[in-house]
Amino acid sequence: MELAFSAEDTAFRDEVRTWLAEHAPRERRPKGGPEMRAFDLAWQRQQFEAGWAGIAWPVEFGGRGLPLTQQLIWYEEYAKLGMKAIDTRFVGLSHAGPTLIARASQEQQANHLPPILRGDVVWCQGFSEPEAGSDLASLRTRAELDGDELVITGQKIWTSYAHLADWQELLVRTDPELPRHKGITWVICDMQSPGIEVRPIHTMDNGADFCEVFYDEVRIPVTNVVGGMNNGWSVAMSTLSFERGTAFTIDQVQLSSTVERLIELARDRALLGDDEIAYALARARADVAALRSLTYLGISRNLRSSEPGPEGSMLKLQWADLYKRIMRLAVEILGPGSLAVDPEGGDIWSELFLLSYGISIGGGTSEIQRNIIAERVLGLPR
Amino acid sequence: MDLLPSKEQEEIVASAAAFLATALPTQRTRQLISEASNVDAKAWLAAADLGWFALGLPSDLGGVGCGLADEVLLFREIGRSLAGGPFLATTLAARVAAYGGNSQLCSEISLGGRVGLGVLGPESTLDPGGVVGTLHVVDGDDTELILVATHERAALFTQADLGELVALECIDPTTRLARATTAGAAPVVAVAADVDPVALRGTALVAAELTGIAEATAVLAAEHAKNRIQFGRPIGVNQAVKHPCADMAVRAELALAQTTVAALALDEGRTDAELQCLNALVVAADAAERNAAGTVQVLGGMGFTFEHDTNLYVKRAFLLAQLLGPVRPLLARLVLLPGPQ
Repeated sequence: MELAFSAEDTAFRDEVRTWLAEHAPRERRPKGGPEMRAFDLAWQRQQFEAGWAGIAWPVEFGGRGLPLTQQLIWYEEYAKLGMKAIDTRFVGLSHAGPTLIARASQEQQANHLPPILRGDVVWCQGFSEPEAGSDLASLRTRAELDGDELVITGQKIWTSYAHLADWQELLVRTDPELPRHKGITWVICDMQSPGIEVRPIHTMDNGADFCEVFYDEVRIPVTNVVGGMNNGWSVAMSTLSFERGTAFTIDQVQLSSTVERLIELARDRALLGDDEIAYALARARADVAALRSLTYLGISRNLRSSEPGPEGSMLKLQWADLYKRIMRLAVEILGPGSLAVDPEGGDIWSELFLLSYGISIGGGTSEIQRNIIAERVLGLPR
Repeated sequence: MDLLPSKEQEEIVASAAAFLATALPTQRTRQLISEASNVDAKAWLAAADLGWFALGLPSDLGGVGCGLADEVLLFREIGRSLAGGPFLATTLAARVAAYGGNSQLCSEISLGGRVGLGVLGPESTLDPGGVVGTLHVVDGDDTELILVATHERAALFTQADLGELVALECIDPTTRLARATTAGAAPVVAVAADVDPVALRGTALVAAELTGIAEATAVLAAEHAKNRIQFGRPIGVNQAVKHPCADMAVRAELALAQTTVAALALDEGRTDAELQCLNALVVAADAAERNAAGTVQVLGGMGFTFEHDTNLYVKRAFLLAQLLGPVRPLLARLVLLPGPQ
């Protein structure tokens, strides 16, 4: 057992820290639209040119093939920049990209992976539908085979950055006769295709990154199918274990910094003498520490065995609960100061507080995470 | 960075678990409830023979030379097993004797001399001159020495110097409790926290016992949810039962992870070791108490009986969370410490 990182890992951390200190964008990220996309992609290109793109991606796909501990270190250092963890690059780098690595043909990989790492393209996800949320396998967006094309008609929802995306990882029903999980296909969809209409959704935190996507006889070449027709469910599931417990590192480190900033804030306002606030902050500090320790434990398990452990759902669930609790505590500490959205000084506690309502929904609701833990880890009956 | 036990450490765990299952099964712990002493003398000496009370003591001080992380693995098994007796106080007392320069006493303790624990009351104090005030004495009714530890120092006192012990019935029936009030007792041997952070190590060890309880109860609840049939189906199909079971598993994992990190932080001399140890106690105490409570609920009427072990876990968790003083002052201290490394 050892908490200290190896000499190589420590040297890597120094290198990352130095590079990020010199190169991280100093200007504020634009709040939306094409400017935000351009900002994210320019930042990705800069990382790519310096050799920081795809740290854990295999070398044959343009990545650096570095061990999981160094992926963790990158995320830990990146988190300190205070930049958003999930931006327009997220689906390409952390979801679609890893899926293509796991399941796509060589030609598909050659066409799509380098542009993701280079920062040429934005990907989005087309999984959820109005009638297929937690019950994803009931999705109904239809794809009919017509010659060497799939003709797609239906609707997706909760698609982040669809209005800014070039490509979409899209789940469609290719055989309605087969059992639910069997008739689904994972396909690469060109977002510029005729017949696609994107409508932004205004969310309660005043964001407009969420979209609905409508498909009216959209034609996609069959060569864009990944992993074979009607194999989409297994392709979609293969994504989930890729980052093996490091996926929430940035969010988690940032939540830890948030607690430290709140302690400072409470001290500045002489609120640490208020027992309730002091105790709540102490518990928050202990709980974010444990969240980080669980990430480390998960990575330790992954270094010994390639089987993904139970940490993924546990981390997501605990992170969401904590995030909500901590943002609620933040607005309590701020008092009337939390009433103004985006006050001077750049702290956006009120927006983060509003955002926290969605944290336990997106990426699998907390209820579904509890089902997964109970059924797959503890073996409770369905 | 590797938070998993090595092969040698896995052997420590396996041998500890096997010893506890054979020498101190819950059945035996229950028998001892009604006997004069709650400690099985033979098993206690056997544990001493295995090196349990000097496991984390450096070899040049007569110890086994393992780290706090190894002791944490052992105490997790003790917590899981519900074994009674002053394992914590005896282990810490060996350190006080060793670092206080009394190697003879250290050796006596390591070889099986039991030491009880004195828990300071709100008005009581421990300073270099000694201890003043009222103490709750845990498993110290028939021991010659009593350990008292704060985050500033730790000291051993003879029971006789602390005055007459008034026997009390402990909420945890597998533990012996008494009260002592002293106008001032001088220590036999003492050590300041900057020489050896005895209480802080105790914090990690208590967190480890609590982790063991959180894990054991999470398993009990999940097994019951799988096997108990009502309305023609296992009760675990219901999310009202299934989700609490999931939450218990998460809390147990968090407690395990944080307790491991805390022990390693102290072993490796990190600047945030104190914070990490307090974090571990807070997280593990919460996990043990809530998991034990959740298990009573999942088990229903059976969980409320004395016959089922769940109530012993509830009571032990409650006791452990108070051994190093109440949690609230600890939280007040935690929030004032410098941030994580």
